[in-house]
Amino acid sequence: MGMTIARRLIDAVPTLLLVLTLVFIAMRILPGDPALAVLGEHATQEQLAEFRRKIGLDLPIWQQYVSFLINSATFNFGNSFANNFSVAQLVKLNLPYTVELTIAATMIGTVIAIPVGVASAVNRGKAIDSGSRIFSLVGYAVPDFFLGAVLLIVFALDLGWFPINGGGDGFTSRMWHLFLPALALGLIKAAFVSRLTRSSLLEVARKDYVRTARAKGASERRVVYRHALRNALLPVITGLGLSILSTLSGSVAIELIFGRPGLGSMLVGAIETRDYPVIQAGIVVFSLFVVLVNLAMDIIYTLVDPRVGEVS
Amino acid sequence: MTAQALGTDIKEDVMVLTRRSFMATTASAVAAAGYASQAGAQQAPSDTIRIAFAARGNRTLDPAASIQGADNWSITHIHDVLVTSPPGTFATKPEEFVPQLAKSWTMSPDAKTWTFQLREGVQFHKGYGEMTSEDVVFSLQRAGDPKAGGGNRALFDNIAEVKANGKYSVVVSLKTPDPLFIGGTIQDYSCVILSKKAVTEKGENIGRDPIGTGPYEFVSLDPDPSKGIMMTANATWWGGKAATKNLHVMYILDTTARTLALLSGTVHMIEGVRAPGWTQSIQQKNPSLQFDVAAPGSLFTMHFNMSRKPLDDIRVRRAFAHAIDRDAIAKAMAPISRRTWGLNAPGFPGGLTTEQVPAELRYAFDPAKAKALLAEAGFPNGFAMEAYTSQREDYKSVMLIVQELMRKVGVTINMQVIDHTTFHANNRKDMNTLPQNSSAYPPVPALPLGDNLAKSSEVKADGSGGTNYSHYGVLIPGIDQILDEAGNEPDFNKRLAIIQRAEKKVMEDLPLIPISTNGYLIVRDPKVKLGYEVKGGYAFWPLYKATIA
Repeated sequence: MGMTIARRLIDAVPTLLLVLTLVFIAMRILPGDPALAVLGEHATQEQLAEFRRKIGLDLPIWQQYVSFLINSATFNFGNSFANNFSVAQLVKLNLPYTVELTIAATMIGTVIAIPVGVASAVNRGKAIDSGSRIFSLVGYAVPDFFLGAVLLIVFALDLGWFPINGGGDGFTSRMWHLFLPALALGLIKAAFVSRLTRSSLLEVARKDYVRTARAKGASERRVVYRHALRNALLPVITGLGLSILSTLSGSVAIELIFGRPGLGSMLVGAIETRDYPVIQAGIVVFSLFVVLVNLAMDIIYTLVDPRVGEVS
Repeated sequence: MTAQALGTDIKEDVMVLTRRSFMATTASAVAAAGYASQAGAQQAPSDTIRIAFAARGNRTLDPAASIQGADNWSITHIHDVLVTSPPGTFATKPEEFVPQLAKSWTMSPDAKTWTFQLREGVQFHKGYGEMTSEDVVFSLQRAGDPKAGGGNRALFDNIAEVKANGKYSVVVSLKTPDPLFIGGTIQDYSCVILSKKAVTEKGENIGRDPIGTGPYEFVSLDPDPSKGIMMTANATWWGGKAATKNLHVMYILDTTARTLALLSGTVHMIEGVRAPGWTQSIQQKNPSLQFDVAAPGSLFTMHFNMSRKPLDDIRVRRAFAHAIDRDAIAKAMAPISRRTWGLNAPGFPGGLTTEQVPAELRYAFDPAKAKALLAEAGFPNGFAMEAYTSQREDYKSVMLIVQELMRKVGVTINMQVIDHTTFHANNRKDMNTLPQNSSAYPPVPALPLGDNLAKSSEVKADGSGGTNYSHYGVLIPGIDQILDEAGNEPDFNKRLAIIQRAEKKVMEDLPLIPISTNGYLIVRDPKVKLGYEVKGGYAFWPLYKATIA
């Protein structure tokens, strides 16, 4: 297992290098001038030149690239162009909010999705299956920001059970602030994962070993949970992994609606103002997440199905 | 098209096209049902005024580097200027200004030397000592540093020398006469007085740990925008302690989140949205909300890039002027928008009222005349052109109306909506055919004219130029001479007469169309009383008199 992890991490290095290079190129060809974005449209040429000199944008492009790679490798991203906060401080502020939102949404999604998916597969064609299908369709169709706004209006504004805005301080307050955004994302995640669970379970239910288990007289519960579901989980885990990655990078709208800090909104704001150091840091963190989540998925595969580990 | 119908069209366009607008309406509609059942647990504390702005977060609290309007609210509460306008208005005549750190001031007959007598005994926050002439000299010199990063540094270009005359007197010498020096430079947020000792000690960090003399003392700045900036009343402020103990400035970019924060009582005041229909939709939800609009606010201009055909033809430009119903645009953007004739808003010094504008230069809304002018210019069937606008609501809303109105006279504007940073960068490289600009100007009449139309501000393809996007003064010369004449005139009234001549020349040549002025809007919980009425002024106003009922 240790060797597998080490090998995966080493494999990630060229991927990260490629991502960083693409980010560097993308930022340089992106229209818009960071100096103008920071100093405003009425900035004089003298002010713009001084700003570019100060942040190193007047250096030859190869020097900027080398310095960018060194800074990325050492996690030394300097200060934000826009507000002069240290980028490390901004990442440190935003990262926990994104991670806790992702974990909570995934937990809510999984807790809802697996039982719903199983119930739907086991009761195929019955009312419970139709209900599950409607839930999934609605979940697919409703955008997360809309669901977030509805939850916010009903549970925060009307009922006053949850706070309107912010990420909270301290464990209790953080959890209180976290619930509604996590529920919005979790419900949508559940719609996707429950369909995946249902179709995967139905696929596995036709396999010989499931029929054999039934023939041996195993209880239906044991057949479903012990024999079928365990084997049906591999594609579900893949789906969850992808879903986690999309939540990490794609929860910007939810962060904005709930006024929460987070890496997504930090990155979008940085792109708007061409805040190169923050963009670089954000992309590096997201890339690391992709590597880590993929690694975690591989490990979970091995735990769920030991044959995967034997093959690798 | 009637104004009402036009407003409806715009509303539909914008609401469909933007997620934020769509969500704002959705949120407001659902919120209407349950507004009465807000939870008391979310109410803001009564000793703290909480105000939320439409921004991603604070950029800086250094007045010399600030370009974000939302940050200026904090800057102007932590610091004082020497002289200012009465709360809620713009002083438009020299005698209307009121003292802050200067207890009196005089102007030399040639309007080139200004002397300020300072208040004695004013203390900087946190034990940084007494404010003296040394701090004033330091602050003005720092604000005028050519390498400083602020958006208003040009206001200090006319200063030749600033020197102390004893501990409590400062003399400012100007290069050219300026009877409006106080209105243009001294009362600007970038001209607040800093502690020399604090700036020297803190260096660049002064932008995150400011020291001023103002009614509120800086407490904290959190990079989390929902926590924002905390300030507490300065007990020894020369004007008396502020009525409310704390001031909390927050940043909530999303319109829905900001609106809900106000409706739930989490905040007392929010920055409004400059888009058609927004104000009305919020007003419907809670009719008791107060709408404070600082007029004139930002001047919205649409420039004709006269280096591009067929915009070099005055008949085509006049056709645009007759085809664009500016009254309807102002009504659609009510209550923030006002009609303006020239670059100086009516009511500002140099601004023209309806009666002062010759009938032929009013370019009344007349699509038939627009079509006739296009035909005369060789475009009986109209023409198509490329242009782009910013995704920011105030730009996009107006330009979608313009696009629709021009379509009705046969001109198809293929409008690309691009992000705001790219929009300005491309404008500065002379890439746009119909560049637009939205800028707030102080009541200094030569400023918008020079900024938008002087030869020295001409836009350049390599990005090294300024914001004269129409190439006026170069392709059609003459404006610079009039502005120079105004600049050398020390008499206030004579200067205004020259400025009005310049305004009329601009109307004749039409290098741009001043579409409207868009006031800055704050929506306020009626529990908060400001202590005065907001009628005009900059996009920030003092809260030291404000109380929470």
